[in-house]
Amino acid sequence: MQTKKITSKMVIPVVTAVIAVLFIYLGITKYGFWHELRGPLPGFFPTIIGFALLALSFLAFLGGRKEEDTKYPIENWYPALGVIGIMLATLVIGMLPSLAIFVILWLKVFEKYNWKTTFVGLVIIMAIVIGAFVMWLGVPFPKGLIYNLIAY
Amino acid sequence: MRKIALVLTMALLVSVAVFAGAQAEAQAGGAFTPSKNIDWYVTSSPGGGSDIFTRTIMDIAVAEDLLNGQNVVVQYKTDGAGEVGRLLVSQIRAGVQADHTLLTFNSGDLMPMLKNTNNRFENFQAIAHMAVDKHLIFVGEMSKYKSFEEVLAALKRGERMVLGGSKGDDIACHAALIAELGVTQDQLSYIAHDATSGAITAILGGHFDLLISKPAAASQYVEAGKITPILALSTSRFPGNLNSAPTLSEFGYKNVEVPNWRSIVAPKSMSAEAVAYWTDVFKKVSATETWNKGYIEKQKLVPDYMDAATFTTYGMNFQKEYLASIGKDK
Amino acid sequence: MENLQMLFMGFSVVLTLENVLVTMLGAVLGLIVGAMPGIGSLAGVALLLPLTYKFNPTTAIIMLGSLYYANMYGGSFSAILLNIPGDSPAVMTALDGYPMATKRNRPGQALFTANMSSFIGGLIGMLILTFMGPLLADLGLKFGPAEMTALLLVAMTSIGWLVGESPTKGVVLTMVGILLASMGMDTLTGSPRYDFGNMYLLGGIPFTPFVIGAVGFSQVLKLMEERNKKVEAHLNQKLTIRGSLLTLHDFRRLVPPAIRSGFMGTFVGVLPGAGATTGAFLGYAAQKAFKSEEPLGSGAIEGIASCEAANNAAAAGSFAPLLALGIPGSGTGAVLLGGLMMWGLNPGPLLFSTNPDFAWGLIASLFLANLLTLIIALGIIPFLVKILTVPVKMLIPIITVVCVVGGYSTSNSMYGVIIMFLSGLFGYILDRNGYGVAPMLLAFVLAPLLESNMRKAFIISHGSMGIFFEKPIAAFLIIVLFAIILTPVIKFVLRKAGVLKK
Repeated sequence: MQTKKITSKMVIPVVTAVIAVLFIYLGITKYGFWHELRGPLPGFFPTIIGFALLALSFLAFLGGRKEEDTKYPIENWYPALGVIGIMLATLVIGMLPSLAIFVILWLKVFEKYNWKTTFVGLVIIMAIVIGAFVMWLGVPFPKGLIYNLIAY
Repeated sequence: MRKIALVLTMALLVSVAVFAGAQAEAQAGGAFTPSKNIDWYVTSSPGGGSDIFTRTIMDIAVAEDLLNGQNVVVQYKTDGAGEVGRLLVSQIRAGVQADHTLLTFNSGDLMPMLKNTNNRFENFQAIAHMAVDKHLIFVGEMSKYKSFEEVLAALKRGERMVLGGSKGDDIACHAALIAELGVTQDQLSYIAHDATSGAITAILGGHFDLLISKPAAASQYVEAGKITPILALSTSRFPGNLNSAPTLSEFGYKNVEVPNWRSIVAPKSMSAEAVAYWTDVFKKVSATETWNKGYIEKQKLVPDYMDAATFTTYGMNFQKEYLASIGKDK
Repeated sequence: MENLQMLFMGFSVVLTLENVLVTMLGAVLGLIVGAMPGIGSLAGVALLLPLTYKFNPTTAIIMLGSLYYANMYGGSFSAILLNIPGDSPAVMTALDGYPMATKRNRPGQALFTANMSSFIGGLIGMLILTFMGPLLADLGLKFGPAEMTALLLVAMTSIGWLVGESPTKGVVLTMVGILLASMGMDTLTGSPRYDFGNMYLLGGIPFTPFVIGAVGFSQVLKLMEERNKKVEAHLNQKLTIRGSLLTLHDFRRLVPPAIRSGFMGTFVGVLPGAGATTGAFLGYAAQKAFKSEEPLGSGAIEGIASCEAANNAAAAGSFAPLLALGIPGSGTGAVLLGGLMMWGLNPGPLLFSTNPDFAWGLIASLFLANLLTLIIALGIIPFLVKILTVPVKMLIPIITVVCVVGGYSTSNSMYGVIIMFLSGLFGYILDRNGYGVAPMLLAFVLAPLLESNMRKAFIISHGSMGIFFEKPIAAFLIIVLFAIILTPVIKFVLRKAGVLKK
């Protein structure tokens, strides 16, 4: 055990076990388990499932020790960083400009497409988003801090 | 980096200046008229009861040209069971936006808000109370009991029974009813469904004996003879096909009534001129033929317009009583 | 045969130029709404409701009915081509649809299979609706809390068929799905639970952003590895309708699951509170019990057919309680019902007798919508398939944007985007470690239904278990449940006793 590296296959069951314990604890102490006449209370179902999850997490942990570790190539996380960027930028400049900037940066800077291809990609995406979601379905995308300050 | 910071600061300054200007403008003019689109918040899904209420009023207001030619944009904020939207409206700061923001607010919204959050009625500006909806108790074709006398007799014998209904005000109604009848929650148990239609489905299938519903949802089934009204939870009997149901006072109890009211509120920070303007708009709406025939009558509601001041007092009272009933009045 | 006569009368109502055009419009809009992640049939119908005030009620409901119906077709498009379910019933379609389109390089056929099965499933549902609608609605009423509990327990065992190679991992995620679904408001008491003091969590975790993230966005993260691979997968088929046609053999594989799912889906659609999503899940899970030529999950035609047929059949089936009793089977049904009331009709047990032209017109329009949607959908396959010729490098930002926009549009808030993002990250990590997310999604849908029905049953019985054994339907289902559970257990014990392995 000491020599073995901690792998994500072992971490996942630990996390699910913690979730299970949390749900069991709250289920029993806060939400109630069983009432003689009313039957199960709000905490009943989650508590039972929590115990099952706890037991299975243990099994999964034992199984996970035998399996090989998984690799997470660093670039696989780039889209996630992109989404974080979009979420933060949305607060300031609004969602539509953030999405446009994301697409441009991704295609031009990261993928090193030429301007023409970048532009075509941008137009297609924004056509879908603006044409369908904004104009037809009327989704009110957030306009961001700056717009709100200027508008009001 | 410094350049960007500089640009941002500039942008910020400019916008603050514009913002301040707009505010000054809003305060300068005496009487208020809408100068931009109105954001009307609805904290439940499109197509539901609150949405139909909002859109009906909106259509009438537009048709009667009460909005100075401005449009209404309905904003659905359903996150956190509606609490997120309600908090957002209550926190809008004074200014043009606050004067152009409305929120559809029913007692069915107020009760969970009081129960589950720290947001309170006084955090809003009451605008207009439009109508109330009351409840009835029904039995189904397969129910063990045929009338409320039989129910009362069975309760005296100690029989257990189940009442099915929807969430929110239906639950509060059940609580008030058992308190008045002096029975426990375990003798007259309650099953909450997501919507009244779920409870109706279950009673049509004979899965429990009693149903609580508002008139509009149940009327069709009464007409078809599938369910029968046996008790009106109101101070007087209902009209039409629901007239056969007696009130509690006819059995020697006090009448139990938990009205589900439908109203409109605004951010606390709305200017006094705007409040006067809006409360008047909805007064005009409530006097139209379209409103009374096309909405009130069809939904079997009781029209009950209250202006901002009356509604504020009424709402605060309602809140006090409700908080006391759930033991949160400290 | 009276019903047939009434149906013909219905057709005479529908087959006016205006109504046919409106059906077509509804079908096209439904396809688009369905294909758009984050906008389901509920939002689509609700958003169009105000538009229909100007029509007469029959025309209006025909349009909304066909929109709702076509939505079930549209959901499969983005599921098959991008691995992002356009709406929740399409989650299962993605399991086989996406591999069939990419790994097996038969995108046209995958779409064709989905559309054809939708048509078959829907047709079965409509025929049942026509001849046995009121009867079916009455049967649905028999399913009270106790019966639903027993049925859902049986349904939950079908998760066992979805867990794949690693049963432990599959069941772990199933349990996690159940716990996640229990967060938010406890409907029976109206009080919050597991909200951890967060206002957003009062409303629980919204399903659509959760699915878009766990299936769609995690897919983007995986795609990053294939980014630099050359697009060697030149489509080995012509991008025409002919190039997308199914072979006779394919067709033979498609029909049996589609018919089975058609019947089952209709039944699920009729049940109170279940819906197209549940129908699709169960259709797919049930297919695991039958033989498929290729293993499910690897792009099998049977997999696509079983869930697509089931969700359309369920959509048709849900009209039975709606029309016969005025009871909506889903959120979308509730909006349609609201519409009926606004148009001055009284939906309820009297609808068939007071407004027969309306009720039968709607049923006839479903038939028409089914046919028109099939024709339109097949016609646009060649254009849709072109999406796959877009290089992966270009697809990554496109799908990312679609995920963000879809997550936002569900409830018009950044909360949806955050949920989408987090479930995408976790979905990716879990997938990397051999945890498939499908069982978690199924559990997320079924568990709340199970829990609320079980608790309602216990309130009715005042805390006694007897209710599950006294009612004949419930008792029968409980026996089925035990049979399903005990068979593998006994087998397992026997095997353990006989041969010791692993």
